[in-house]
Amino acid sequence: MSTNENGTAQIFDQGYRRYDGPRSGVGGSIRTLVTHSMRDALGLGRLTRHKVFPFATVIAAFLPAIAFIGVAALLPDDLEDFLPSYAEYYGFVIAAIFLFAGFVAPELLCKDRRTGLLGVYLASPLNRPLYLLGKSIAVLLLMLLVTLGPPLLMLIAYSLESRGPSGISDWLTTLFHVLLSSLTMGSLFAAVALAVASVTDRAAVATATVLALFPGSAIVSDILVQEADLSGWYRLFNLPGMARELVFRIHGEFGLWNASGDPSTLALVGAWAFWTFGSLAFVWSRYRKLLVRR
Amino acid sequence: MCTVACHNAGVTTDRSPGPMAGAAPAGQSLVVAQNVSKAYRGHSALHDATFTIEPGITGLLGANGAGKTTLLGMIIGLHSVTGGSLQVLGHDPWSAGTSVRERLGYAPEHHTLPPDLKAADFVRHVAELHGLPKQEAQTRASDALWLVGLGEERFRPMGTMSTGQRQRVKLAQAIAHDPELVLLDEPTDGLDPIQRDAMLDLIAGIAKDFGINVILSSHLLDEVERICDAAVIIGDGHTLASGSLTSLMGSSSGVHVEFDGSPANLESAFAALRNGGFVVTGEGRRAIVEAPSADHDADLVFGAVRDAAVDHGCGIARLSRKGRSLEDIFLEETFTPTGVPQ
Repeated sequence: MSTNENGTAQIFDQGYRRYDGPRSGVGGSIRTLVTHSMRDALGLGRLTRHKVFPFATVIAAFLPAIAFIGVAALLPDDLEDFLPSYAEYYGFVIAAIFLFAGFVAPELLCKDRRTGLLGVYLASPLNRPLYLLGKSIAVLLLMLLVTLGPPLLMLIAYSLESRGPSGISDWLTTLFHVLLSSLTMGSLFAAVALAVASVTDRAAVATATVLALFPGSAIVSDILVQEADLSGWYRLFNLPGMARELVFRIHGEFGLWNASGDPSTLALVGAWAFWTFGSLAFVWSRYRKLLVRR
Repeated sequence: MCTVACHNAGVTTDRSPGPMAGAAPAGQSLVVAQNVSKAYRGHSALHDATFTIEPGITGLLGANGAGKTTLLGMIIGLHSVTGGSLQVLGHDPWSAGTSVRERLGYAPEHHTLPPDLKAADFVRHVAELHGLPKQEAQTRASDALWLVGLGEERFRPMGTMSTGQRQRVKLAQAIAHDPELVLLDEPTDGLDPIQRDAMLDLIAGIAKDFGINVILSSHLLDEVERICDAAVIIGDGHTLASGSLTSLMGSSSGVHVEFDGSPANLESAFAALRNGGFVVTGEGRRAIVEAPSADHDADLVFGAVRDAAVDHGCGIARLSRKGRSLEDIFLEETFTPTGVPQ
């Protein structure tokens, strides 16, 4: 009970009532969808067992970076070449990136269809394109946790240890390379994982498919190029290899595909765009005609 | 808002339910369908459906596969109409889907909500999706869950809830953002009779106390009769009947009659009616008298009963129009008199 300025007491019954306050519109709906999806994928607000896998994967992606930062602090200056570059770092955590992509995208797409939550979303201000936009943003932001987080941490820590880029210009250039590399990696894996997740309502099946697809594409591509002696252009089917090679070239480093006949940078960019946007177009084609259970 | 103001001299209570019939402008119909058709790959799911849904509780009736779900989908703006025009809250829900859906609440038919999500989190999330600020959404999620009787259970994962509780969660998420119109798809599905009664009371209360308009999709006719103000009956993609329940159920040409008099007078009065071609069913003093054909209206029957009573010395203890149940209407509109589907 409270007393107002007239000296009269008032009791406010906090029950259900009408609402005539502001509404955030479509932007707010997308923001909510992104936030909720990210929390859901990370297991926040859910039982402990739902937090174990995503956090273990994120930690696995950060552990090598933390180790290298620690080693860098102990190494004499003339041995710092033993430390991996920002581009090379992805080689240490590529498995964690596979796992995270294979877990996150199915968790965010398959579950909504299987539980009928998609019907609830589409009865809100969101429509299908906006729903997919929100989910794609959520998956990309989550992927950046493992593709951007560790190299960014390394950049900051190295800088604090005076082993980072010299001068503000170099530092900003390196930061730009790190950002672009992580976006390249994150968006490719997110898009392909989303495409796989759009095919089945069963998250476990989608996860297994994603985890087979990424290394599988590398194996098939290597067999075609190295064993069958086909053109180096078949390397563009190697999804993780193609993304890593592009990251090397973003950082201006020698990559793994330097032989004559290997794809040019322009071809790599084209292949990346094809796989990324082609996967997103596939997702849209699946959802455009999807019969929503209500 | 429910506010109780206690003044020094006494207590005054102001329990205003807010504006009645949602925020729909006065006189505006909630849904106006004019010759609405919908076809999927050559299959006609709905054709030439014409009806108007006014503020209040409206039942959307029809057998499974009649086109109710298609119609709900079009009202929400998920499907475009193939022919005709559809207006929801004054807008075309297909072209203005986002702004229309912001003012709608929707409870789906299925029960498989995310099992590990807490009810309060789910309701809050849906309220935020409809544009409510985070803090307001959280408060209103709790309020809505208390309203539907799940206040103590609101932090339980939905997977641990019974079907009845999940139905209540679906209702709570549909109203948490204070919609003008709520669409409830089979809200009593899977409930036992006691839970069903409670759910119907809840829905009626939401409409009455808070002025939220409701479209209740159901294939259970008695549910609609019990709480709805109006009904739209869909069958095989057509609108079989629509309008207020008063107009739909009171349009029979039959009358209930109870004569007062000696057995001989009663017998002769009823015999006279039969001889006049009227159908008389019943025993003793009470009977239902119906016109010879459906083309005749009830006034003809009233006149004949009055004349029979006067001519044969009977008093009239009761004389009232025989109402039709929704089941009567549904069967009449769905089947020919010989029982063959139309």
